[in-house]
Amino acid sequence: MRIVARGFILLCAMSLSAMGQQLAEVGTAAGIRALEDAWTVGQSRNDSHALDLIFDNALVYVEYGKLVTKGEYLSRVRRELPQLDQIVMGPMTVRTFSGTAIVVGTYSEKRGRDKSAELKRWRFIDTWVYKKGGWVLVAASAAPCERNP
Amino acid sequence: MRAMRALTWIVVMMWVGSVVTGGQAAYDSDIASKLIALERVSKMQAWQNKDLQTLNTMFDDAFVYVNPDGRELGKPELIAYIQSFGTLQFVAEAMTVQLHGETAIVTGLYRMKGTQRGKAFVRRGRFVDTWLYKNGRWVAIASLLAPDAN
Repeated sequence: MRIVARGFILLCAMSLSAMGQQLAEVGTAAGIRALEDAWTVGQSRNDSHALDLIFDNALVYVEYGKLVTKGEYLSRVRRELPQLDQIVMGPMTVRTFSGTAIVVGTYSEKRGRDKSAELKRWRFIDTWVYKKGGWVLVAASAAPCERNP
Repeated sequence: MRAMRALTWIVVMMWVGSVVTGGQAAYDSDIASKLIALERVSKMQAWQNKDLQTLNTMFDDAFVYVNPDGRELGKPELIAYIQSFGTLQFVAEAMTVQLHGETAIVTGLYRMKGTQRGKAFVRRGRFVDTWLYKNGRWVAIASLLAPDAN
């Protein structure tokens, strides 16, 4: 009887631990999604200060096939006018590996203004790393989707 | 006398600090060399030779790949995609490594030339790969090939 009870307790403990792990992963994924949103909002509003907090200093950023440093990216954001409706995020998935998270998703980018604006869809991979108590973006790259809308 | 001891202590601590920093730099440099070697084995040998066993070992099961057309592939799809090439030359160069603890980002330039379904193709651009130190070895968890800007 005792053995059965111990087995039952052990089983409960294991399932609780697995549930806790799943909940932690769900929480991490939600946090990463929030950071992705913060990045989009920060870029749309040219908020280089907010972006500075999100990006790691050694960020590897590939924009339109070219390697751009964090400093170059932030200075471009500072120079540009706010473009509130230029980027629309599509669905994304978050894969977590302990202190690392990979986000894969799509976004549509409107380049140009009014009727001449061109809409282009991109698929991206972002890598986030947990550092000093917070998640920071360490790499971001995107490839244009061949079948654009 | 006390000032002398304090000065000696500071000098010793600075020396220890520089040894530790130097050791860390050498360690990081070793890892960077290893990752660049892994990139060469993966892209220049395993892709070209369709060495599926090596690719299977190097890619994590949750590996995700985005090709220059913006198509997302998982590990089994990528292995099938590699098999679909008739011939393939894959050159990776100008690689740099950024280490973040047990995560590493490798970026560089790539050039692919070959045939697929009877059609010749040439592609070039920049790749960004994410590697993770897992169970005592480095495995690739994500890779994106961005086409050339021009």
